[in-house]
Amino acid sequence: VEPAGVPPRLVYRPHDVASLDYERDLGDPGEFPFTRGRRGPGQNGAGAWIHRELSGEGSPQRSNRQFHELLAHGALGVDVIGDTPTMAALDPDHPMCAPAVGTGGVSLCRKQDFVELFDGIPLDRITASHSLPAAFALAGQYTAAGATGVDPAVLRGSAIQSPLFGEDCSYATFMPFHLRMRLCLDSIAFSTREMPRFHAYLEDTYFISDGGLDVVEEMALGFVEIREVTRRLVARGLPVDAFAPRIAILVNCRMDLFEEIAKIRAIRRLYARMMRDEFGAQDPRSLATNVAVHTSGLTLTAAQPINNVVRGAVQALAMAMAGVQGLEISTFDEAFRTPSHAAHVVAMRTQQVIAEETGVGRVADPLGGSWYVESLTDELERRIDAEVRRIEAIGDVGELVEAGFFRELFLKGMDRHAQAVQTGAQRVVGVNCHVMPPAEDTLLRDVAEERFEADGDHVERIRRWRTARDGPRVESALAAAQEAAATPDADLMPAIVGALEDDCSIGEIAGALRAGYGLDPDPFAAA
Amino acid sequence: MSQRGRIVVGTLGLDQHEVGAMAVAQLLMRHGFEVVYLGRFNTPARLAAVAEQEDADVVGVSVHSWELAAYTGELVDACHAVGAAVVVGGSVLTEADERALRSRGVDATFGPYARDDLIVARLDELVARTRTGAIAAPDGGDEGALAGRVVIVTGAARGLGAAYAERLVREGGAVVANDLDADELHELADDDRAIVAAPGDIADPTTAPELVAAALSRFGRLDAIIANAGALRSGTLLRIGPDDLDAVYAVHVRGTFLILQAAARHWRVEAKAGHPVAAAALTTTSSAGLFGFLGESAYSAAKAAVIALTVVAAEELARYGVTVNAIAPSARTRLTAWLGDGPANAEDPYAPAHVAPAAAWLVSAAARDVTGRVFEVGGDGLAIADGWRSAGSTALPRGASVGDVGERLRRLVAEAPAPRPILRADVPGQARDPLEDETTGRGGTLTAAP
Repeated sequence: VEPAGVPPRLVYRPHDVASLDYERDLGDPGEFPFTRGRRGPGQNGAGAWIHRELSGEGSPQRSNRQFHELLAHGALGVDVIGDTPTMAALDPDHPMCAPAVGTGGVSLCRKQDFVELFDGIPLDRITASHSLPAAFALAGQYTAAGATGVDPAVLRGSAIQSPLFGEDCSYATFMPFHLRMRLCLDSIAFSTREMPRFHAYLEDTYFISDGGLDVVEEMALGFVEIREVTRRLVARGLPVDAFAPRIAILVNCRMDLFEEIAKIRAIRRLYARMMRDEFGAQDPRSLATNVAVHTSGLTLTAAQPINNVVRGAVQALAMAMAGVQGLEISTFDEAFRTPSHAAHVVAMRTQQVIAEETGVGRVADPLGGSWYVESLTDELERRIDAEVRRIEAIGDVGELVEAGFFRELFLKGMDRHAQAVQTGAQRVVGVNCHVMPPAEDTLLRDVAEERFEADGDHVERIRRWRTARDGPRVESALAAAQEAAATPDADLMPAIVGALEDDCSIGEIAGALRAGYGLDPDPFAAA
Repeated sequence: MSQRGRIVVGTLGLDQHEVGAMAVAQLLMRHGFEVVYLGRFNTPARLAAVAEQEDADVVGVSVHSWELAAYTGELVDACHAVGAAVVVGGSVLTEADERALRSRGVDATFGPYARDDLIVARLDELVARTRTGAIAAPDGGDEGALAGRVVIVTGAARGLGAAYAERLVREGGAVVANDLDADELHELADDDRAIVAAPGDIADPTTAPELVAAALSRFGRLDAIIANAGALRSGTLLRIGPDDLDAVYAVHVRGTFLILQAAARHWRVEAKAGHPVAAAALTTTSSAGLFGFLGESAYSAAKAAVIALTVVAAEELARYGVTVNAIAPSARTRLTAWLGDGPANAEDPYAPAHVAPAAAWLVSAAARDVTGRVFEVGGDGLAIADGWRSAGSTALPRGASVGDVGERLRRLVAEAPAPRPILRADVPGQARDPLEDETTGRGGTLTAAP
């Protein structure tokens, strides 16, 4: 199988990298073009990465307990995912939401929720990654910090911005492209100003590619989005060096390990050259991108769930060799749910075994100079770059979004993956080879299949809170948000932050923004 | 209405994971279904309303979120009320989920990496049911009697075997179909992709193990066998030769023996490994084997041998969780050409399809407690046959003379009820009496193993 269409050779030789120029194409780790890594030997963070695991279930308090447990087990950051209502910017007491509250992530809809979520978490020492609608997550984190006396300037973490692809890829917020892009740009500008250590723009290629895109498609779309957002921020008059250091990339890691390692080396080089040569960035921090990884959930299987522990371990080892800044392993129960406690512990221990016992972080870019890895790095860089140019040549990126161009790519990717597994062209142990009868396939299955109910109590809490609020204050804050949305050049972030401070819910604020665009505040009003 | 079926596809509630729905839509279109794609954020009412408006056969919901459970009852009621079947598929479904969904009326469920061909076969079946109005019937949510069971059927290219295979698949099972006639077999398997064609001579000792291996490699399990292959060399005792006898025995007795043995060896391994076995074997005898058939001496003897084999196997394999029964079908097949052509419709009491539900039940999980029995199936009736037993007895003194024993035997004959006469092809206008046909009859005609 050649997932990204790179024809493999059986053996690589020096002439396969004959055109490679060390200074120009590789450089030392921590040196332009950063192919060999963001940090040089001896620099802070060299050879180490932030160990974290995706978490979030039920109410903010319950998720807070998960955070504390993970930190107690040695996590160096938290990564919070919202339940489906939260991801859609809907409140838990919306009629469509009750069955889904807290089952696939944490329920968050107001300032108090963010306060409870981060209660007792040392936000000045650990990083908080938000897999949530970014503008609301940044506003929530900012207001919660204010409420608990933490200086927003010390906050570290990241927020996923997905203005181009989110709506087509599992994160629909029922907002038009124009509004989504505005929220993205406004919240990056806001965060750069107010939370300067926070990565306000995490380009997440994980979620777009885990529907079956190959590495070239994954990174090409990621670069198309980074370039579009960068162009628009620059057009607003922001110097590129003001925000580029706060861009990070969260990539996927499937099972073709060398391809994934070469991909990361290729994008570091591509990104550095692009920022310097096309956008004129000068600050070295603008050129050396921060790469974090979420290992592929699509590579994990419902059959023989214990095999997923092995998959997570080899992927994590590869990513450690690639020199990433942050790592989340998709856990063995991924096929069924967001991670259970047992799965969290196994994933943390996997990272720790690799970090503490293997010595993999001892040498920077240990695979540098491998004829195969260098050749594959060159080839992937070339292909990713060509695909970016091809897409941008087709037309205005915003129009491509609206025309469903990217949606079509996602559809084809999933279909291609499904076919490859069906035909056996892509071997998946336990699925199309080395299959076990269900009666024998019991190891870890009980844990993996464990479930819990939607959090009805939390829905009740929100309902009671809603009726007890200061009505006129809420109304006026929502009116301000609607007014901001309706005003072409207005910054949306002050209105969003103000509305959260004034006890508005995220569902209400999103509704006010929609209303500012002449849409029904409730996306399900017609239903 | 589209020929193969029209299917509404979407996700429910806030389940945002749309790529699964999109991929399923692609798959269905590739197989000739018409897809009405509704994307995300549907309610049960919307899916059903669109199904009604578009005259769809099936509503398919792709799931990646547990919230589905909250909508299941409403979804099933709304869709069945407009005559559409409900199918749910998704990578988060566990086997327990699938059972729960089906028990709540969902017509079919598919878990992670469900095989395309099984999905398509099941949808074909549901479209057929929808179009006969069966979906709206009270038992519309009933799951197939053979759901999840894998069955080897020998002699499956046509006649009874083909009817069995089709019925088993319709009931949710999967079939490894064996026959000498590879062409016919592949045609059957092409029509229905839950059927795998495995051609070969069942009398060859290598074939039966290959069939078992095919079931395991293709479907991952083996739950039942139906030994149905048969061959006919008609002729009175005076007409047929020893080769004819061997040919008939090879298929009926040796073939049945070999497939029983190969399957039983697999089940014994499973049972010894501690895996619960709920397996079934169904052999094929005939009224000829039960009662004798005029002009079919070899065939009658072979079919009687199958009965003995069956009852012994039932006793021997019970400890491994295997039931063994025999069926004596009455149907129009190449072995019963004397029956003539039937009315060629579903009303025909001698249609092979008329026998199929009985065979399906006997290899289903529902028949776990039935073993060592012989059933007569076909025409308008079902009967259970019973074996030879004493119709009278008397003492046999030591040293008795020939004359003395003769007397005793004569008395037994006089006192016993008259024996059941053997059968003869007496359908008016359809057959000749083989005894009047000794020189020109059908003797020696081989009807190849169907």
